[in-house]
This record gives sequence, structure tokens and C-alpha cells, in this order.
Amino acid sequence: MKNEWGDVRLGIDAYDLSGKRALVLGAGAPAGRAIALALGEAGADVTVSSISNDGDEIMRVKRVQQELTKMGRKSTTVATDITLGAGVQVMVRQVAKAFDGLDIMINAPDLFLGKAAESTTDVEWNKVMQTNLAGTFHGCRAAAKEMLKQESGGRIINVTSVLGERAIANAAAYCAAQAGVLNLTRALATEWGPRKITVNAIAAGWMDYSAAIGNPDPAANQTVRFVPMKRAGTADEIAPLAVYLASDSCGYISGQVMFVDGGLTTHL
Amino acid sequence: MVLERLKLDGKVAIVTGAGRGLGRQMALALAEAGADVVCAARTASQIDRTKSDIEALGHRAVAQSTDVRDSGQCDALVQRAVDEYGKLDIMLSNAGIGDMRGANAELWDVNDDDWHDTLDVNLSSAFYCARAASKVMAAQGHGGAIINLASGTAMRAYPMSFGYGAAKAGVIAITKSMSAMLVRHNIRVNCIIPGFVMQAPPGNEQAEIFAQTRGRYLPAQRLGYAWELGPLAIFLASDASSYVTGQGFVIDGGGLAGGLAPMGFAPEVPV
Repeated sequence: MKNEWGDVRLGIDAYDLSGKRALVLGAGAPAGRAIALALGEAGADVTVSSISNDGDEIMRVKRVQQELTKMGRKSTTVATDITLGAGVQVMVRQVAKAFDGLDIMINAPDLFLGKAAESTTDVEWNKVMQTNLAGTFHGCRAAAKEMLKQESGGRIINVTSVLGERAIANAAAYCAAQAGVLNLTRALATEWGPRKITVNAIAAGWMDYSAAIGNPDPAANQTVRFVPMKRAGTADEIAPLAVYLASDSCGYISGQVMFVDGGLTTHL
Repeated sequence: MVLERLKLDGKVAIVTGAGRGLGRQMALALAEAGADVVCAARTASQIDRTKSDIEALGHRAVAQSTDVRDSGQCDALVQRAVDEYGKLDIMLSNAGIGDMRGANAELWDVNDDDWHDTLDVNLSSAFYCARAASKVMAAQGHGGAIINLASGTAMRAYPMSFGYGAAKAGVIAITKSMSAMLVRHNIRVNCIIPGFVMQAPPGNEQAEIFAQTRGRYLPAQRLGYAWELGPLAIFLASDASSYVTGQGFVIDGGGLAGGLAPMGFAPEVPV
């Protein structure tokens, strides 16, 4: 609509992603899958990627791609091991080349480890750090290398957890890795902001797919009963925020972590 | 379908401070997304303009002159929404005044009236509106969304008007507490925390230079535009944020993410 600010998108068209080129790392898991489909519904062409070379995971990603294709979006499946920065960079370059640019990058690796700190091995610690924290950095860095070439900049969205802000027993490695993602998000926002790249994070609470809570049924799960909304969230409740953060209308939000958690943290 | 969940068709919203600046843009945005809007502010001519602009979009709106420092007028405002449209779904408490009376004074020169008025207009108003709105929403039985406007000044030092930062910190605190109190009625309560956002496009060269100078210190390299709060307000008002409550959403061009200095300076490691 036209008003004193000119012709601005103030209604539902503010979330229109038609013509945008998106890449979702971790589309084989529930959050990444829901976000990939929502971006597609909002009009974006979405390339979907695994975060490992596990065949079952790649097949799950492939099924998301089929749904996107059915919607009429351009979509391809790629596989990458997110723990290897060079591989991620090459993959992102190829995707950006195929689509002549990259506007939206979603980093949604999620490797949970429920284990007493004193029993956590070096190998386990490194794997959790490498997947969640380094993996997110690999995705951000590779995306920025493409977005920095564009006048239009881009949108990077990291999917993390309330456990990056608040702690829980028996998940020290995971808590530390996700806390790293939060300040990584802020640091990259300050660094790439002048080049029109925004970097934000969505922190999910207890979701019905969370490995951290097990059975999400409130009747069986004391953790879920402590959520003010008395229920676990769903991946579909994360996806609309990703669409908003990915949109052109969201150019003045950066370096923020937004909590979708049913009131669990009452953050900020 | 994700865009369907952002729509506000059939919802009724109240926006305070809807006559100009951020409130006006958010009122227009909620209407664009499908809501009927009760526009409130002290200055009748300004809310009449917002009302007619909404009607020009093909949506329903009414204007109600309201001084949000007066709880009776906040009650009447909520009643007006019910009288006009039969219900209330969205309460957006935006009214506030950025400059405390006695701004830039020495601390000992801020008098009791300045202090109380700043808290009344910026903090008590949010409580009065939420109290009146939540009672109606709970009785309706289908929940609702309350959105308060805080400020980045609540998160860092704000020497120009220290009462304002305190009031807005209070808004963040009541947002959290009210979210926990109202969750059983399916009422979600969140707040928007704007950083430096221009209320209107710069009207002259001096304003333009001021905006550019201020903006340089933010990662976004510019100040925000009032209209940019519109899509955020729609998100928080709509079913798209069904699992979001008790949260603050900062829209500040990345200023607080850096925030090594209170304002006006964004350090970087030389490379």
C-alpha cells in the first residue's frame, strides 16, 4: 500500500518470498523440513540439504524436495557433511551458481546428546560442537560468501534451542554448542550488517520432536507439564517466524534470537 | 499454508497511539492483514486520519479519543471495541512518549511529577489496557493476543531520559508476568522492542543528516522505518505465533547485538 513511507508492503504480501532463492541445511529433520515447506509456500525456490552423508537422512530430504516440486517450486536435493567446512562451501557455491545467487540460508543442524557431563567423551563433545556450532558457522560462512557478492545482501537464519540460553542437567555439550550459536549469530550480524545481510536465530523450546524430552505427551512427561502452554510445540509453529525473518520486510531485525517456546523462557 | 496463518480476517484489534508514527503503521498493517481496528490516541484529528486510511483500504475502523494514563478511558476503549464489533482479539499497546519531561536534566532536577508522568504514560498505560482487554478476551473463551511496545532503552543505559528506560523495562517485565498469568486463558502476551526507528520520513535536510549520522553506528547502517514494525505486529497478532508468548522481539538494526557501548559507537576489531 502507499502511505507516507512510499509503496510499502504492510499486509500479508510483506511475507511474500516469490523469486527468492533459499537453501535449507538440515531439511531431513522436523524443523528444517517445516521451514523448507513454509518457504516454498511463501513462494521461494528451495534447495534442501542433509547435514550428513547418512543415506536415510538424504532420503528424508529427498521427500521434502518432492513436496516442494509438487508445489511448483524449483527444488533440488543436495547432500553434505556439515562438519566439513570446505565441503559445505563447495556445495553452497554450486547451489548459488545453479540459481544465480542465494537470498535465504537456513542452518538447522540438530544433534542432541543427553549424557552426564563427567561421562561425556572427547569424541562425543567434539561431534556435538562440530555439528551444531561449527556446522552452523560453516553454513553461515558459505552463504555469506555468496550473499556478499550481491547488492541485495541476504537473510541467514540459524535454528537453535532454548538450551543455548538456559541450561539443563545432562546436556552440557549441547547447551554449550547452542550457546555458541547465539553469540555467533550476534557477531555475524554486526559484521555483515553493513552489507545488508541479516543474521538471526530461532530458539525452539520443547517441541514434539525434541530428542531432549523424549515422549512429548504432557501426561507422561513432567518436563512438558512445566511449559506454561502445557504442551510441546510443533515444527509448524516455528516455520512462520522463519518466513518472516526471511522476508524483505524484515531488514531491520538482525542479531536477534527469537524464542518459540510456549512461554518457557520468557526471554528478554 | 503458512500465509493463511498470518491473516487476521475476522479479528478485532485495538491500537493505542494509532495517530502517528509506529502505532499508525501497525494499525494500517493489522487492517491490511484483515483486522477491524479501533484506533486510539489523544489527538482526534490524527486517529481520524488513520481510520479513514484504513477505510480506504476496504476495512472497518473506528477512532476513539483516549488518554491511556486514565484507566477509566482504557476500560472505555475496550468496551468500544466490543460495542462496535462484538469482541476483541488483539490489544496492541503502543501509546507512549519517548521524551520524559525534564529530559537531559541533571538527575537531581527530575521532579516527582516528571517521574510519575513518564511511568504513567509508558508503563501504567500498558497495564490498564492489558487488564481491560484480558478480562474481555478471557470471557470470550477463544483467547487473544496482547502486544506491548517496549524500547531498546530498557536494555542499555539511557541518560537522556532515564525514567523512560525504566518504564520500558517495566513493560518488558509485565509482559513476561502477564504471559504466565494469562496463558491458561489462551491469551498470548509479547512485546516489540524497537531500537532507533524513525517515526516519520525525514522532513528536511537536518532530519536526514541526523538519521544518517545515527544510523552509521548500527550494523544495518541506517535507522528503522516506522512501517517495518507492521509485519512484526501482524506476526505476533496472528496464529502464526501460536507457540510464542512472554517474549520480546527486538527490531533495532542489530544495535543491541553488538552493544559494547550504550549508543552512538560500534567498535570493531581492526583487520
